Amino acid sequence: MAGLELLSDQGYRLDGRKATELRKLQARMGVFTQADGSAYLEQGNTKALAVVYGPHEMRGSRSRTLHDRAVINCQYSMATFSTAERKRRPHGDRKSTEMSLHLKQTFEAAVMTQLYPRSQIDIYVKILQSDGGNYSVCVNAATLAVIDAGIPMRDYVCACTVGFVDETPLADLCYAEENGGVSSLALALLPRGGQIALLQMDARLHQDHLETLIEAAMTACKGVSKVLDEVVRQHLQEASVLTGE
Amino acid sequence: VFEQNPCSCSHLLVIYDFIECTCFCNVRLCRYYKRLQTLVKDPRHDCVLFANEFQKYSYCPREKGESQEKWQTRCVYSAAVWYYNHLAGMMNIVMITEDPEAVAQLSCLTSGVYVISVQDYLQSFWSDLQAAHELFSSISQAQQETEGDDGEKEFPEHLPAEVLEAGIKSERYIQGTLNVNKHRAQNEAFVRPKNFSTKNLTWDVLVYGRKNRNRAVHGDEVVVELLPKNEWRGRDTALTDGDEKTGEDNESTPLPTGRIVGILQRNWRDYVVTFPTRDGIQSQSRNSQRILTIPWDQRIPKIRISTQQAEALQDHRVVVRIDSWESTSFYPNGHSVRVLGRAGELETEVQTILIENCIHILPFSDAQLREMPVNSLEKPWTVDASEVAERRDLRDSHLVFSIDPRGCEDVDDTLSIRKLPNRRLELGVHIADVTHFVKEGSLTDLEARSRATTYYLADRRYDMLPAVLSADLCSLLGGADRYAMSVLWELDAESLEVQEVWYGRTLIRSSYQLHYELAQALLNGEQVEVEELADLGPQEKGSKLAQLTEALEMLTHVARHLRAKRDRGGALELEGVEVGAQLDEERNITALVPRQPLEVHETVAECMIYANHWVARKIQEAFPNQALLRRHPPPQQELFKQLVDTAKAKGFTVDTRSNKALAASLDRAVDPQDPLVNRLFRMMATTAMSQALFYWLFHVHEFQCLALDRYTHFTSPIRRYADIVVHRLLTAALHMQRGVVSGKAPASNKEVEEMAHHVNSKNRAAQAAQMRSTALFQCLFFRDRDPQTDPCCVADAVVYSIRDNGVLPQLPWGRLTEVRLPYRAIGEVSCPRTQRPRLSKPGLKPATFRLQGKLPTLESRERTWSCSFSWPPLLFDLSKHFSDNFMVSAAGHRSY
Repeated sequence: MAGLELLSDQGYRLDGRKATELRKLQARMGVFTQADGSAYLEQGNTKALAVVYGPHEMRGSRSRTLHDRAVINCQYSMATFSTAERKRRPHGDRKSTEMSLHLKQTFEAAVMTQLYPRSQIDIYVKILQSDGGNYSVCVNAATLAVIDAGIPMRDYVCACTVGFVDETPLADLCYAEENGGVSSLALALLPRGGQIALLQMDARLHQDHLETLIEAAMTACKGVSKVLDEVVRQHLQEASVLTGE
Repeated sequence: VFEQNPCSCSHLLVIYDFIECTCFCNVRLCRYYKRLQTLVKDPRHDCVLFANEFQKYSYCPREKGESQEKWQTRCVYSAAVWYYNHLAGMMNIVMITEDPEAVAQLSCLTSGVYVISVQDYLQSFWSDLQAAHELFSSISQAQQETEGDDGEKEFPEHLPAEVLEAGIKSERYIQGTLNVNKHRAQNEAFVRPKNFSTKNLTWDVLVYGRKNRNRAVHGDEVVVELLPKNEWRGRDTALTDGDEKTGEDNESTPLPTGRIVGILQRNWRDYVVTFPTRDGIQSQSRNSQRILTIPWDQRIPKIRISTQQAEALQDHRVVVRIDSWESTSFYPNGHSVRVLGRAGELETEVQTILIENCIHILPFSDAQLREMPVNSLEKPWTVDASEVAERRDLRDSHLVFSIDPRGCEDVDDTLSIRKLPNRRLELGVHIADVTHFVKEGSLTDLEARSRATTYYLADRRYDMLPAVLSADLCSLLGGADRYAMSVLWELDAESLEVQEVWYGRTLIRSSYQLHYELAQALLNGEQVEVEELADLGPQEKGSKLAQLTEALEMLTHVARHLRAKRDRGGALELEGVEVGAQLDEERNITALVPRQPLEVHETVAECMIYANHWVARKIQEAFPNQALLRRHPPPQQELFKQLVDTAKAKGFTVDTRSNKALAASLDRAVDPQDPLVNRLFRMMATTAMSQALFYWLFHVHEFQCLALDRYTHFTSPIRRYADIVVHRLLTAALHMQRGVVSGKAPASNKEVEEMAHHVNSKNRAAQAAQMRSTALFQCLFFRDRDPQTDPCCVADAVVYSIRDNGVLPQLPWGRLTEVRLPYRAIGEVSCPRTQRPRLSKPGLKPATFRLQGKLPTLESRERTWSCSFSWPPLLFDLSKHFSDNFMVSAAGHRSY
């Protein structure tokens, strides 16, 4: 029946955030040396690791080769220890397949694939700790990894989830909120042009509210993009110092 | 800390001046949390909620191995310290906890922050607050008692909530509200299924016996499981819980019978109880501390409370709250909240009526009164120039007058009528513009909303709005400039059809403040003195009087036409006789007077009905989904059974399928020899009809008592909150029409729905309280009279129904009263043997009894048939007088 109070009258959420406040976002690029690009990203308690290989020649079945652009291959997985319940997560279950597909669609919209015809880009993402907003954290981490790999993109792809409670949109949901009966929406945005790379929602929501919800999601994504930009610049500075330029 | 005893907490928060911080707890008792929250949220209580866990300086992390309670106490303490420092030590902070360890540990850590227990707090800060002390001691006693006490299981356990929910979804169980039968509270209760339409159940589910009821109390939201068909049983037709069971033959056809498997929502409120007699206490239990108290409401089981004051409170009425009902206990446990006073005293009994109907009224607070405009001799209130520009000024163009009961202070409706040059009549209804003074969301508005209506008791009144508004600035007094909301119709002079309607805000000055008797006298052409014209010369007076009389005549003409139109549509003429108690200055009752109906009553009522109808049309068209409308729910056909049966016994058929059919058949059911027959039928029809309710969606069904498709309440904003809402809706509709975008969107559908529920329940409570208080005064009236000598105590009554062990008579005045005669009484009187079978045969013609009234003593405490716990408005002690009177009535048997 009456569940947790997701938004108190004072305007605080369960974890003390305000409605439009994002969780603390921390990231590092270039965490692996073997990979072409890699990044580690924390958004609150959700932690993800992204690795990018490529662009390289098509591996496996050559029949998938596209002659005008590169193929993007995504793989999403969750660590056994990522949730409260320890659980073996085999590859290729429905959830992760779906998530992989979403990631693939997102990055096909952002990466300038036409520059690399007949080649392949691999993006591997692993959730180390899951506390809501897995998709958006993966997208954000993968963006950094792709940038680290030096693959040209149209823009950063930033993603964020938003929920709708008591006529108010809540930005960047945590696990308790996602499971507390909130109708949530995930949005991946190319912030500079304001283009939507992916929008996913499978809850019920009144049509009238959709507009406000998308609006809130876009603002949240723009907030994320600022942080990511900061991280990239920081990384660049460090790298340039190391290379002695 | 606070969740432990919410009642005391509510008390403390009210009187707290400084801000108290409450920690968010993972509250297991969600309901208490909600209740606390609504208390804190109420702006009348001056409370602020401080989210200490989200504040940087008052947050403290939980240490390893620290228990939840400890940690929370520490959190609250650190918040208190922070607040003390925040105020720069200007004010001392008191933190209250029930944990003695915390008191010992924390009290001396910081100066200026005191940590004490509730008891110490009360003693040192509010030592003069007797009520709080009593409440605290009774709660703490009740808490001590509840520990321990492992006995045999008296009741089966309730099922867990998940099972119940799944059961309801799969239609295995039925969800509904428990309704205990007033006459057989021990055994019989009914559950009305919540979603009638989805199930095939067309009637209520019977829950028979204590075991099956399984600790549910009247009003609870319960879940029922149906028993197999062979265990179904009928309802008892006998009137009282007879100790001798006459067997199966006093049961009617079997009803679906069930047992309660779980309770979704307890709807416990405060109950008024009395203590058992002294010898009752001694025999009751081994433990004299715990006493079974007897609730005033028969439908509530006895409540066990622990107190040492039982002896002292022998004859008093006490307010009690139920805490719990364990499956091991035969009775629920509770604690006493406060003492009302000695039973039988007027003040106590009036308080009892208020509490039993959940009416809590405190005087208006200073903050609310500060919002009010001032109107005093030094600073008279005047009409605002900007308002004059905006409103239509009717002060000079219209003859406006009001007709109200004598001595009425809150005049909220006035009328006007005049001839227009183009062969038209202009009828106007002008209603006090309360919404101009009461802004939405203001403190006064909130208070008015929670009161929802003015409560009229027989001897007093509890206003919905402060007196400045209700008796002065909003009241449309004679000779004063007032703001109004008006509806003006242009009617064709011949056919009286509506040609044009105008709604809007106006400025009026009422010329005459008439009362009903005076208006009727003017209409009848009698020579009467009109107060407003007393000072004028005879010439002028004559012409003014002629003008007024002409207006009244026109008004009557129009009202007759409107009435006739509604009658053709099948409006029900319902009958309800009310008895007013006439009081002298010391509030003693001098006489009971039935209200005399005059034609002018009907005229005024008709105009108001018309205004309500047209406003309902307007707002429904403007806001199809949010309009607050009023209608009768479709009546339950089985309630008409009694009427149909009685009519059949008299040889009439009554068709109850629609309002039209019912009206027609009631018109036919007239006995030329006895006018009382028709009146009785109408009264019975009125009781069978369900009460009209507020709705938020427009929906037509065939039972429209007023024969109008849309109806609302618009004409009494001073004493009904619904009217204020309707006024706001009308204003919004007018704004919309003019294309003005108002600042605030109208209330959402859900808000209107909540409002409708709230207003409905408050209206019901107000009506019940009014009825009860009239009954109380009737009781008091008879108490002081000797039935043997006083002629007032003898009354004719018509027996309209005969049960196995009693009769239900109808007094000519007063509502359908109920006199319960134990059969034994009939057996004892020398009743001719031939009379008895005729008496007990169903469908027998009602006979007239000459009853002698003697009131039950108000002090009686036992719940037997002759007790006063539910003052049936009049209860006659027949056993004493029955013999000769019965003979009389048998001889003078009135034949119908």
